[in-house]
Amino acid sequence: MQKEIDLDLITSYVLRTGVLLSLFFIAFGTVLLFVRNGGMNHTLSYLSNFSNSFDSHSIPLGGIPAGLAALDGIYYITTGLWVLIFTPISVVFIAIIDFLKEKNRLYVAMSIIVLFNLFFAMLVIPRFA
Amino acid sequence: MTAILYIALKFLSIVVGGIAAGTLGSLTGLGGATVLVPLLSLFYGIPIIFATGASLVSTIATSAGSASAYTREKITNVKVGIGLEIATTAGAIVGSLTAVYINNNHYSWMIYIIFGAVLLGSLIPTVQRGKYEEPVPRKADWSTKLFQLAGSYYDKRLKKQVNYEGVRWWLAEFIMFFAGVISGLLGIGSGALKVLGMDWAMNLPMKVTTTTSNFMIGITAATGSSIYWYNGYIQVFIAAATAIGVLIGSFIGAKILMKITNKNIRWIFFAILSFLGIEMLLRGLQKSSVLNISLNIEVVASAIFAFIMISGLYIHTKRGVEKNAKGN
Repeated sequence: MQKEIDLDLITSYVLRTGVLLSLFFIAFGTVLLFVRNGGMNHTLSYLSNFSNSFDSHSIPLGGIPAGLAALDGIYYITTGLWVLIFTPISVVFIAIIDFLKEKNRLYVAMSIIVLFNLFFAMLVIPRFA
Repeated sequence: MTAILYIALKFLSIVVGGIAAGTLGSLTGLGGATVLVPLLSLFYGIPIIFATGASLVSTIATSAGSASAYTREKITNVKVGIGLEIATTAGAIVGSLTAVYINNNHYSWMIYIIFGAVLLGSLIPTVQRGKYEEPVPRKADWSTKLFQLAGSYYDKRLKKQVNYEGVRWWLAEFIMFFAGVISGLLGIGSGALKVLGMDWAMNLPMKVTTTTSNFMIGITAATGSSIYWYNGYIQVFIAAATAIGVLIGSFIGAKILMKITNKNIRWIFFAILSFLGIEMLLRGLQKSSVLNISLNIEVVASAIFAFIMISGLYIHTKRGVEKNAKGN
């Protein structure tokens, strides 16, 4: 093999890093929730109640930077969950680079359709939710 | 202080449930979420939409974790994966929006029934799947060339390079749309359907099928998860616990799987899964008030049905093996 960058290996690393990073945020956020008895001005007992629950609707994603700075457990878990959601998406980006190098137009187009579906779910549908 | 301790126990109990689900899921090959959703909704009293939401997120973790190992071995066919993801992601959008609609309109009993049916339905092909065989080559069709479906990988067990050609891309695409719908609707990876699409429709070798399906599950689940998130159906307390638990469980399962020599042990796990499937069906009927039975009867009835179903499948499979042995 020449000195070519092995994209399969990069994919493998990206996936593993994504999972570990997200687990770190989730675990740290959980510890914060317990140590500080809650997050986002809610007590832990309120947050852990399944029926009267505090769900993802009440967490503005724009509040993540401030929430992380304030060591709010909810925002750490939220960050972890979103890192997890973005992990497989980054693999599609790597695949596009690969297809571009091969000048495989059909598969570049197909990868873009996959990304379009993903971002449709993330950016367009929430406006109607 | 005792209150905090109680909540910590509650959290840990969900983590333990996640570990059990992850272990069972990887031992049976059906994935952690297939066990997690019934576990959380039947025995933890968690509303099913939060159970499916948390499972969907956990599915990404296990899929990404094992895909990391598989892509390195270069068995995963990324082209097949990306091509079929067009259908699975579209399906996931439809499926998760349907889940949101069903839940907002208080029809959640439907989810129980569909879940039970899908669990039992995907158990049968999984049980009967052969250990390993190369597919009978089929004539390449127009889609083989257009979508570049030929590939090869090195098989460690056979110690040789296996070449293959995928066919009937359009048919697989069609099946994958439904796999995506099921994934979004029920919060599972729906690996069984994905395998069906690639193994049966595209005639790919089993190894390529399972690793590529695993690669696709992550992206499908990511699409569904974001819709669940924006509709408020991800409960961070539960999702945090299950993501950690299921990931640990799937590692344990993979380790055990390598050590199990007696294949008959798997039947115990299949039995547990069929029990959960029947329980989901009965609970759904109960919630729709078609059926009115006590919890004890529900559990006993599920256990009996599960026993009958698995014994039947066991006998059927053993007969099939004997017939094959005679035929050879």
